[in-house]
Amino acid sequence: MTASYQPIAKVSEIRPGDRKIVTVKGKEIGIFNIKGTFHAFLNRCPHMGAPLCKGLIIEKIESDAPGSFRFKSEMVLRCPWHRWEFDIASGEPVFDPSIRAKKYEVKVKNGTLYCKV
Amino acid sequence: MKKIDCDVHVRWKSADELAPYMEDPWLSLLKGGHIMYGHNGYPNPNGSYKLDSIPPDQSSPGTDPSFTASDLLDQYEINKAILIGESSHLAISNLANADWAAALASAYNDWFVNRWFSADKRFLGSIIVATQDPKKAAEEIERVGSHPQFVQVSVGSGSKMAYGNRFFEPIFEAAEKLNLPVAIHPFNDGAGIANPPTSVGYPSHYIEFHTLAINSIQAHLVSLVCEGTFEKFPNLKIVLIEAGIGWLPPLLWRLDKNWKGLRNEIPWVKKLPSEYAAKHVYLTTQPLDEPKNRKHIHQIIDMLPSKDMLLFSSDYPHWDFDNPFQVFKGFSSELKSKIFYENAAELYGL
Repeated sequence: MTASYQPIAKVSEIRPGDRKIVTVKGKEIGIFNIKGTFHAFLNRCPHMGAPLCKGLIIEKIESDAPGSFRFKSEMVLRCPWHRWEFDIASGEPVFDPSIRAKKYEVKVKNGTLYCKV
Repeated sequence: MKKIDCDVHVRWKSADELAPYMEDPWLSLLKGGHIMYGHNGYPNPNGSYKLDSIPPDQSSPGTDPSFTASDLLDQYEINKAILIGESSHLAISNLANADWAAALASAYNDWFVNRWFSADKRFLGSIIVATQDPKKAAEEIERVGSHPQFVQVSVGSGSKMAYGNRFFEPIFEAAEKLNLPVAIHPFNDGAGIANPPTSVGYPSHYIEFHTLAINSIQAHLVSLVCEGTFEKFPNLKIVLIEAGIGWLPPLLWRLDKNWKGLRNEIPWVKKLPSEYAAKHVYLTTQPLDEPKNRKHIHQIIDMLPSKDMLLFSSDYPHWDFDNPFQVFKGFSSELKSKIFYENAAELYGL
């Protein structure tokens, strides 16, 4: 089946910091509004099959040296089971680019969110 | 494929649930909130539970029998689950007061029967004992051990001494008499009267504590073999829970090699340690090792003294849950059937 843009939700339904999980063409997809930008992930963690989109969006913590903690403005999606952290833009776990969470393209048109599924 | 999940954690919503099963002086202690052994100082920074295991009423995961039944057994097509307390429950053995600990163990076991066994026949359970007084622990095993849904005895790996020490004999004697395996579960290490979590003391972080939890499990296993526990109790079975599997082959190679030259120090040990392990020891699979090269997990399984020792476990509702639909991907159906069902059915007589 060819992927095509499917209407998912009204833009106004998903405020910054919110999410919505929908089923499109039999696939569960989570749409997140992260600081005004929409991201869509398949609701399945590539590691162990967890409902990834039920995980937390948290600030990524980095460090310059042992004992220091630096909170970046960058956000990550953290799996609700094993707490793997996924880069929001690429869908890659922050530690391993060889696997990735499935992402879908999102576009906004006339106040409606569309997802390419 | 039929499945038995050999490590499922349950708890109470509030310790007050134990009150109906206690009398003074212990009831007053319970009501005073003195149940906890003192935290071992290793909280999981990300929380201990899988976030989708919270029941609809927002109570703690693992506290609601009907939700555990639907969320785990129905969703993952699991036929039976062997329930066990949290490591904080097993940590009654970390309390200094042996009588208080024994009273908690009895109340816990009575609570277990009423709260969990009557809720669903698919729930089987683990008797909890307080190891401070092994004779009392043996009496507790005899008191509740014939309940058809209690299928094993459980102790924590955190302890003052290794379990092969003759001090603990009454526990193994009672368990063997009732044909109940004894399960050793980690993570109560380092609290109360137990020794530090490692032989070099207290690691700084939860990740170290969790990774090194196999240290005490290894020490108990070597002790049980070398002290002759399996010669004294030839029908005893030991289940090592939540320690994974990858560490076992090299430990047994080292122990076998040493035994060949040091056998005269422990002449009651009459065969290779790995042969005792094959006959008496079981491993629950979670957290299954995840080598980068997936072939290596098959090689590790080949290195085990027996494929009959593996028991599937999910560790529901904890964060490091192994999903039965995914965790053994690429395993042969014959091996999966042993791990998911046959080995546990044989061990527990199900």
